[in-house]
Amino acid sequence: MPVQASVIAYIPYMLDGLKMTFLLVGGGLGIGFLIGVPIAIGQVYGPKELKAALDAYVWFFRGTPLLVLLFLFYWGVFPALGLNLNAVLTSALVLGMRSGAYQSQIFRGAITSVPEGQYMAARSLGMGKWQAVLSIIVPQALRIAIPGWSNEYAIILKDSAICFVLGVMEMLNRTRYVMISTGEALLPFIFAGITYIFLTYGGVKVFDIIYERYKIPGLLVRG
Amino acid sequence: MADVVLKVEDIHKSYGKLEVLKGIFFELKRGETKVIAGPSGAGKSTLLRCINLLTKPDKGRVWLENVELTDPKVNINKLRARIGFVFQHFNLFMHLTAIENVMIGPIKVLKLPKEEARRRAEEALLRVHITEDLWNKYPAQLSGGQQQRVAIARALAMNPVIILYDEPTSALDPELVGEVLQVMKELATQKVTSLVVTHEIGFAISVADELMFMYGGKIIEKGPPREVVYNPKHEATKKFFANIARLYGKQGA
Amino acid sequence: MYTEFWPDFLSRLPFGIMVTLEILSITIPVSIGYGILLGSARVYGNAFIRLLAAGLVVTFRGFPLVVTLFLLFYGLPEMGVKLSPFWTAVTAFILCSGAYQSEYVRGAIRSLEVGQIEAARSLGMTRLQELIHIVLPQAIPRALPGISNEIIYQIKYSSLAYIVGVNEIFGITTSINSIYFRPIETFLTAAAIYLVMTTAAHFGFKALEGHMSIPGLEIEIR
Ligand SMILES: Nc1ncnc2c1ncn2[C@@H]1O[C@H](COP(=O)(O)OP(=O)(O)OP(=O)(O)O)[C@@H](O)[C@H]1O
Ligand SMILES: [Mg+2]
Repeated sequence: MPVQASVIAYIPYMLDGLKMTFLLVGGGLGIGFLIGVPIAIGQVYGPKELKAALDAYVWFFRGTPLLVLLFLFYWGVFPALGLNLNAVLTSALVLGMRSGAYQSQIFRGAITSVPEGQYMAARSLGMGKWQAVLSIIVPQALRIAIPGWSNEYAIILKDSAICFVLGVMEMLNRTRYVMISTGEALLPFIFAGITYIFLTYGGVKVFDIIYERYKIPGLLVRG
Repeated sequence: MADVVLKVEDIHKSYGKLEVLKGIFFELKRGETKVIAGPSGAGKSTLLRCINLLTKPDKGRVWLENVELTDPKVNINKLRARIGFVFQHFNLFMHLTAIENVMIGPIKVLKLPKEEARRRAEEALLRVHITEDLWNKYPAQLSGGQQQRVAIARALAMNPVIILYDEPTSALDPELVGEVLQVMKELATQKVTSLVVTHEIGFAISVADELMFMYGGKIIEKGPPREVVYNPKHEATKKFFANIARLYGKQGA
Repeated sequence: MYTEFWPDFLSRLPFGIMVTLEILSITIPVSIGYGILLGSARVYGNAFIRLLAAGLVVTFRGFPLVVTLFLLFYGLPEMGVKLSPFWTAVTAFILCSGAYQSEYVRGAIRSLEVGQIEAARSLGMTRLQELIHIVLPQAIPRALPGISNEIIYQIKYSSLAYIVGVNEIFGITTSINSIYFRPIETFLTAAAIYLVMTTAAHFGFKALEGHMSIPGLEIEIR
């Protein structure tokens, strides 16, 4: 009993790590959005050379493990660029750059699922190419992409736990500390796992609400 | 004296508050072909599905050659293997070629050796005029009429004591209806016991021994097909066949 | 003994690659089998089995893989079960990836037209025969794009075996980096190896998908 009681005493300490977890998730999703949307637009509408460069970016960040990316940028790339970034900032940026690659694919799918006629109709009103894309296609695609983002949230939430390797004190790292100081592993990790499950479902629920709010009647969503 | 192959007694079925079957009685003797017609929603499909227990009737009994299907102790899979079922939308197994579709029942359910199953399948396919060049095609590579004939062969290869058809031609393009009806006619003439739900009046008149008209969950009229079509007694029957005649024109008559 | 960076790194890497491949050669086939079993159980099992399968899926899809790894590595010994680092990683990868894959299998099973299932029943097939001969042969090709995606994830996440102390590609890379401190070269090399594996898997699965498609249904399956 005393051991378990001491684990319970640590719960507030563990949950406090959620602030950091959310910082990573929010930062990663936000940066990923800012990177992913332009990539998708470039991949669909850009010139050939741009497409090739964007494809290479996506290929690299999708094909490399997060663990490798974290170490590569933390120890190698950022210092080499003269950037002295701490572990938290590095983690958020790496999660964001990688999420950008994934989000571009979500968004690209959404753009290509907007019916062709929409673009034609916009052009026939006299809109230019980019005007048609930005004011007609993109607003529809953003809505279509919401379920994909919901999925991306669930992925990045779980991946944020990997950032403990750089020493970021998010939820999982605090759970490790609890294990070290109480000598108990089973309960703390089960507690952490269940918390992640709740956060996943809670977040997905929020995206559902956003989707319901902004969905366009009659506009079908793929997947 | 011809023996009774299928006997249906007082079948009832409801979906929630909706009473779909309100007591159905009839029987089929060996070699007979009977046709069921009736408006949409009359419960025709439900009745067929209650016979091979794809749907469980709420009440009533069904016998297949003196074995009661509705007895909870019977092995329903064994009995279903002896009842052929031909669906409106063919329901061929999309991952199997035409001949594999016909072989799979004999192999997996009847446990026949492969060579014998193949022999049976070839024979069944030839009976429905599916020639050798089509045997190795997948369903999606066949026309609707060809698919439905393969589906009939799949039923035949099990050597069923009866075949149930649920509107076998109503999902087909008009020009493909003929080839399927032709096969069904030939089978009826060969004394394959059949129970057919169809609106093809021509088929009923030329081959059926009896036409049963279903309305509101009951068989409200039955008799020789010509009688029922041209001299209907009930108002609903009259209306139905008048509409059919209008829709199908001469072909129906 | 003093050695040069590159010769040292390149002479030790093959060992790490072998360990990674050893892990994957177990986890890929087993997780696929487990995923198919779990997905089938969630549709075809009785109430108890369905609940059990759903519990496994919700848990191991919901737990971050790192949590599962730590739980097995540090938590299981408290219950008297002690796994080596290697088997801890293998078990965690199977539990996690299988849970994800089962969702694709379940989705594919449920996307099959009821008509074919009724046709199987009306031939007298048992539910098990129907599952094995009619449902899975069509559901597995349909689930393949999802399954292959999960396998590609598995290749990347296999690097997490390092955190419970397995000396696979990433483990070797970090230990070399801590001796020579050449982060860009070491981690880019590791990245390159993973990229080769994920890219090869990607094209391999594309070929397999083409191979498994059913004539006349190619478009529907995608
Ligand atoms: N599984 C079910 N659940 C609820 N209602 C059902 C179900 N199956 C059939 N029904 C209802 O039962 C009634 C009879 O259906 P059934 O398919 O037997 O009619 P039918 O005579 O075959 O008509 P059709 O000519 O359109 O095929 C319909 O009102 C239908 O909506
Ligand atoms: Mg019907």
